[in-house]
Amino acid sequence: MKTFRCPSRHGYAAEISPFLPSRLACAASQHYGIAGCGTLLVLDQDEGGIKLIRSFDWNDGLFDVTWSENNEHVLVTGAGDGSVQVWDTANPRGPLQVLKEHTQEWDLERPQSLCTFRGHEGVVYSTVWSPHVTSCFASASGDGTLRVWDVKMGVSRLVIPAHNAEILSCDWCKYDQNVLVTGAVDCGLRVWDLRSTRQPVAELLGHSYAIRRLKFSPFHRTLLASCSYDFTVRIWDFSRPEPLLETLEHHTEFVCGLDFNLHIPNQVVDCAWDETVKVYIPASLADLQPCAD
Amino acid sequence: MHRLRVVSGHLSPQNRLGPYSHAQIARSECSASLPVAADDIVVVHGLRTAIGKAKRGSFKDTTPDELLSAVMSAVLRDVGLSPDKLGDVCVGNVLQPGAGALMVRVAQFLRVESMSLRSVGNPGDVSSRLMDNAKARDCLIPMGITSENVAERFGISREKQDAFALSSQQKASKAQERGVFQQEITPLTTRFVDEDGKERTIVVSKDDGIRPGTTVEGLAKLKPAFKPDGSTTAGNSSQVSDGAAAVLLGRRSMVEALNLPVMGVLRACAVVGVPPDLMGIGPAYAIPAALRKSGLSVADVDVFEINEAFASQAAYCVEKLGIPMEKVNPNGGAIALGHPLGCTGARQVVTLLNELKRRGKRAYGVVSMCIGTGMGAAAVFEYPGN
Repeated sequence: MKTFRCPSRHGYAAEISPFLPSRLACAASQHYGIAGCGTLLVLDQDEGGIKLIRSFDWNDGLFDVTWSENNEHVLVTGAGDGSVQVWDTANPRGPLQVLKEHTQEWDLERPQSLCTFRGHEGVVYSTVWSPHVTSCFASASGDGTLRVWDVKMGVSRLVIPAHNAEILSCDWCKYDQNVLVTGAVDCGLRVWDLRSTRQPVAELLGHSYAIRRLKFSPFHRTLLASCSYDFTVRIWDFSRPEPLLETLEHHTEFVCGLDFNLHIPNQVVDCAWDETVKVYIPASLADLQPCAD
Repeated sequence: MHRLRVVSGHLSPQNRLGPYSHAQIARSECSASLPVAADDIVVVHGLRTAIGKAKRGSFKDTTPDELLSAVMSAVLRDVGLSPDKLGDVCVGNVLQPGAGALMVRVAQFLRVESMSLRSVGNPGDVSSRLMDNAKARDCLIPMGITSENVAERFGISREKQDAFALSSQQKASKAQERGVFQQEITPLTTRFVDEDGKERTIVVSKDDGIRPGTTVEGLAKLKPAFKPDGSTTAGNSSQVSDGAAAVLLGRRSMVEALNLPVMGVLRACAVVGVPPDLMGIGPAYAIPAALRKSGLSVADVDVFEINEAFASQAAYCVEKLGIPMEKVNPNGGAIALGHPLGCTGARQVVTLLNELKRRGKRAYGVVSMCIGTGMGAAAVFEYPGN
């Protein structure tokens, strides 16, 4: 396992570059994100460990990060003041662009963007584009619903009352365009098939506190990872009767960020409030062959 | 405060309205102690010898001073500390005559026992007035009878005792197999006289009391060892054993000044009195006292090393305190490993801190034991994290 320590910065999100398998980004905040500023860390991993390539500061906490899929130098972060920043790793001076329409991190406002999608009755914690259908994305909300949207329509195509609690994360299955997973404050993960939404395909229990983030494996149809306020990262295979494959307890604070490497099979990055970013291959995945799908 | 309320909402499971609910947030005293203070008592290092079965095992021909000097020197050698830097030595021993008088001046808590060379039967000089006072008289009750007393008074059945004993054997044998004890045992070269009287030199590095083949059926066949219709047998009692352990302690400011590592921090300890005829219940009272002193609860502690003098008392204490079994003696206890009387406390500290170190993260552990004549003791240790 490789660890990067970022003193006084508490990680909220981590993502591995889709272009460079050794490159990763972490959005982190001062004072656990409750107050203070934020830092975007651009890191590089090799056999020896993880080193810092570049860091960018913002005057509010940074809570999410994602890499551009059409330019290997570009990334986007979301900040506590409601703004979205576009950064270029080759440009150390500051963001290329700052987009501000949300008035605070958990509110929607006037449309000056391409489109505003209304429907949720609570905080929208997570949105994810479908990897299969270009105009489609899903959102997870504090109102307990999972919604699937089509960019061409202004309203949700599908509303699933997935949990009786706030849903903090969702992700699409990379091998089946109808399958999604949600993770909620009720400590459970539920796998859904959009073709029959009355009940979940699987319910994965094991975490003892709210699930903060979920990701489906890019290499296996039924494998996914979750991270939680219970300090653990867990690996699941929802096709098995005993779905929990592994529990990793290498953090000493809330684990908020999680991502799979698209190029190195089964490699995972995570980040937590304990000021660390870790990169590793979970033992339960190390022996598996990538899916032939 | 808004962000704090949102995160707080995630942690309270009944809350489905999220940040729009009226959950109150207020400050409360942090029950974990300050992580670092100059006058903390810290554990620098600890080691033990392997534990041998009394009279027939690895150390049957080894005198206690050999056990002691091996483990003391190994601890000092490992950290590179010369004996002249040490302030005090405290040796724990139960059966040696003039226990502890010889070994002062080298380290702080050292514990040693040879139950091969000393027997339990001779209490030494005591006043004849002892017999006139009921509680004083109770102090002479053989330990096995106190186990029967606990089993009867609190309803710990033979089956429950045997199940507890089996679990200890299984945990210890898995730990031994996985090499878990290699970190904490210092090998000892010593003499051994075999059945035909031939003396040879052996190197002892493994506990010889563990029985991997233990089964519930096997344990059920054993006859009661202390009382004809009793439930305490040789299989569900701690073994009579030889061994030594040493723990090096110091004030943090001095430890840091000498550039020594910190393996753990002593956060609290407590000693309580309990009725001598039920001495085994000691941990059930000592553990809450120590936890109270440290401001922690059972849920905050990851590992409990509760001495298994007898399965009856150990099972009773675990149940009474509601401690989840998976937190108790994860690498087995005295039933499987053996119980060299004066050694066990330090042995438990060494095993506890090594287990927390293996787990890596900052955590709390508790060591506790019952004490013959009616006492319980417990200490709370903190492992600082890798």
